[in-house]
Amino acid sequence: MNAAPRSDLAVKLAGAAVYGMDLDLPGMLWAALVPAPVAHGRIRSVDLAPARALPGVVAVGAEDLASLLPRGGGDPDRPIFPTGEVAYRNQPLAAVAAPSLREARRAAAAVRVDVEPLPALIDIETAFPDWPDAHAPPSPYVIAHVHARHGDVAAAFDTADRVVEETYRTASVHQVALEPHACVATVTGDRWYVQTCTQTPFGVREDVATLLGLPEESVVVEGTWVGGGFGGKGSSLLEPFALLLSRASRRPVRLASDYRQEFELGRTTLPAVIRLATAVKDSHIVGRRVRLLLDVGSSLPGRDFATGYSIGFLLGPYRTSTFEVEGYGIRTNKPPFGPHRAPFAPQCAFALESHLDEVGRTVGLDPDAFRAAHLWREGDTTALGQRVGPFGLATALEQARALARRWRAAAAPGHGVGIGLGFWSTSTGAGGEVRLVLTPTVLRIVQAEREIGSGSVLRGLAAVAERVFALPPDRVRVEYANTAEAPFDSGVFGSRTLGALGRAIVEAGEKMLGTLAERLGAPGPVRLVVEGDELVVLSGSIRRPVRDLLNSEERTPGLVATGRHYAKSNTIDEQRVVTGTFYPYTDFTGAAHVAEVSVDRETGAVRVERYAAFQDAGTVVDLPTARAQIEGGIAMGLGIALTEEAVWSDDGRFQNAHLLDYRIPTLGEVPPPEVTFVEGFPGAGPFGAKGLGEPPIIPVPATIAAAVRAASGAHVTDLPISAERVARALKLL
Amino acid sequence: MTDDSAALWVNGSVARLQGMPDDERLLDTLRWRLGLKGTKEGCRTGDCGACTVLVDGKSTLSCLTLTREVEGGSVTTIDGASDDPELKRVSAAFTAAEALQCGYCTPGFVVALAGLLKERGRSAPVEELMDGLQGNLCRCTGYAAIARAVALAREDAP
Repeated sequence: MNAAPRSDLAVKLAGAAVYGMDLDLPGMLWAALVPAPVAHGRIRSVDLAPARALPGVVAVGAEDLASLLPRGGGDPDRPIFPTGEVAYRNQPLAAVAAPSLREARRAAAAVRVDVEPLPALIDIETAFPDWPDAHAPPSPYVIAHVHARHGDVAAAFDTADRVVEETYRTASVHQVALEPHACVATVTGDRWYVQTCTQTPFGVREDVATLLGLPEESVVVEGTWVGGGFGGKGSSLLEPFALLLSRASRRPVRLASDYRQEFELGRTTLPAVIRLATAVKDSHIVGRRVRLLLDVGSSLPGRDFATGYSIGFLLGPYRTSTFEVEGYGIRTNKPPFGPHRAPFAPQCAFALESHLDEVGRTVGLDPDAFRAAHLWREGDTTALGQRVGPFGLATALEQARALARRWRAAAAPGHGVGIGLGFWSTSTGAGGEVRLVLTPTVLRIVQAEREIGSGSVLRGLAAVAERVFALPPDRVRVEYANTAEAPFDSGVFGSRTLGALGRAIVEAGEKMLGTLAERLGAPGPVRLVVEGDELVVLSGSIRRPVRDLLNSEERTPGLVATGRHYAKSNTIDEQRVVTGTFYPYTDFTGAAHVAEVSVDRETGAVRVERYAAFQDAGTVVDLPTARAQIEGGIAMGLGIALTEEAVWSDDGRFQNAHLLDYRIPTLGEVPPPEVTFVEGFPGAGPFGAKGLGEPPIIPVPATIAAAVRAASGAHVTDLPISAERVARALKLL
Repeated sequence: MTDDSAALWVNGSVARLQGMPDDERLLDTLRWRLGLKGTKEGCRTGDCGACTVLVDGKSTLSCLTLTREVEGGSVTTIDGASDDPELKRVSAAFTAAEALQCGYCTPGFVVALAGLLKERGRSAPVEELMDGLQGNLCRCTGYAAIARAVALAREDAP
């Protein structure tokens, strides 16, 4: 399709885009949170009096909720301020506001907090010492348990020629959106209004209403420009505190994280231990066992999505008839687990793909040939019995293998080439709606989401409407409205935006074209053309300006049509589930990546020399933004693969909570990748599009691991593949 | 007696500042005192480069610079892009290459690259310019589109 430039370039390049961090209202107060001083403890008292004694300071704590909130509080399972136990270090115990940030920080420090320390659980393996041999642990730390199986697993392992069994460990990684969380709340009467940099305005509205015990319609969320999300800005974080302080002070209140807090309070991917066992007979895989210990932080029982969703990625995009899979979500004294671009899937793909390499080497199979032979094709079923739809990964792998052969033939000594695969399911989330408004000169798309950077809103949705109406880019305008005015959408996450809102636009567009045809009295389909300033409706030889087809009520707003799309998923085979909740996939997509790396034989440092991605895209709707997603996803994946690791101390401190020691990839460390789209395996999005935000990050750590092993022989089973871990694997240390 | 006033040039105009504490950072002066929010606040520890401005033509991290240090000096920010030839040139290159996504690191990159072009000349080798941008972090683009913009911003770009 034709590409128009992104409409956000000019405003961002002029420095005129107002992000959450830039919000600046007259009379606004600045806020600060009072952090819990330990990772686990019993709260004896939180005394706000010393803070309140300071000039201009407003403070709120647990005891103020009854007077500030119409129902005296919200969901008792998720208190705004804890009153019994501290769940994680830096958990907010109270909040203060003052005329300046300096005064707010001084006031927060003045609050007298008395907490009796209790033993903290930080390392998941200490919670479950018998793992991986024991089942059904009698442990208060296990808040989720999922278990599924199919076929005679015991027999497969008993009669196998070889069993390969390995343990992988993966690190906690952070989203590192460059803009920290920031919001300004303004409460007037019963209108709880908050401007915030969020991926999910309606999600924040629901969250705030639940946490504060407010009717949803009295909460109004206004999205700002978002300085990166990657899953980290997907639910409320600071908004409830700012709203409470605004209610208490009757002023607008700004609350923003500094970058240390951004790390310390972030909901993100936490550490995991993965045990994989594979039974091989006559050079075929005949059985698999998968076990997962996943740190879910201080998530609440019943609110752990991660364990039951992620575990399927450990079985991978392969036909697996005989298997047993079991996962445990372990509650620790860290902030709750939260989504990080394709939550936990890159880590799962790393473990599985590295394991398949190991299996291949052990029994003399070519791992790439094994993968090709076992990959899902359309019509196959997943391990949990879901039918696989159109799926281009086998084609992507074929192309990746051809490129890898060329790169291997040309590789310098000490270089290695590896292939990694990953699959994903897009279009999660409840769904979304749009409102199209046709004026005499322009088509407006009114919807709830702000552009978070991927281009899926401003460029992707515009491109869909341009195609439905055959209009040039300058006649289509994507507009944003707050939660009081926009139709509902569940948020920019899960690679779903283009798919869900795009389909809603197609539906609304077809209705609108139908209405125009009716009013034109046209026998066949109509189309729009531009004549001078005017939009004109055409059908055969009949033509009339849009202006003449609007009735008197439509003169000002324009002709309105609404469309909606709610994702449907096929179901899993419940007979294979022993216990727990497994989540079905909705739309199958995948990618095959190729990396060439060099490994320093003295330090173990890995350098990525070349990189290529073959991405199942269904149909590419807008090439520049599609390519940009792949390039960015690869870079973020290289961080997970090589350098990124949140280091948690035994007492629950995030020890490297700044960008010097938590190392994301820098400009010299990411070679510009070669990006190829595999089309022809249509997805559920408009025109057969598939979501592209998350899929490109998934195969990266697996691909790097394979290349490192090819280059050096180092089989590194822990993420990240740091120089130190490579050096240990090569016995240099 | 302490003098709590200060003056500096910002994007070609004089900014006279009253009641300015000695420990105020240039980043905060620009954003909260002068209302120039184009310069972004990221880490405040000098690690991300989002707050880069030019001080007397040289790339400077405004989060690690005290406003007192640049008194009487000349500060150029992204908000002044339309008046500065190198900023305009880099801005055009970023537009042509679509070298941004969320845009939060963009003012820092644009200003840093403009500073490099001023310092090293428009025909400086690509490698040298890329090397000069190592202190700027971007989480969205994977730097590929930024590399294309750098190539376009050079004098002998096709």
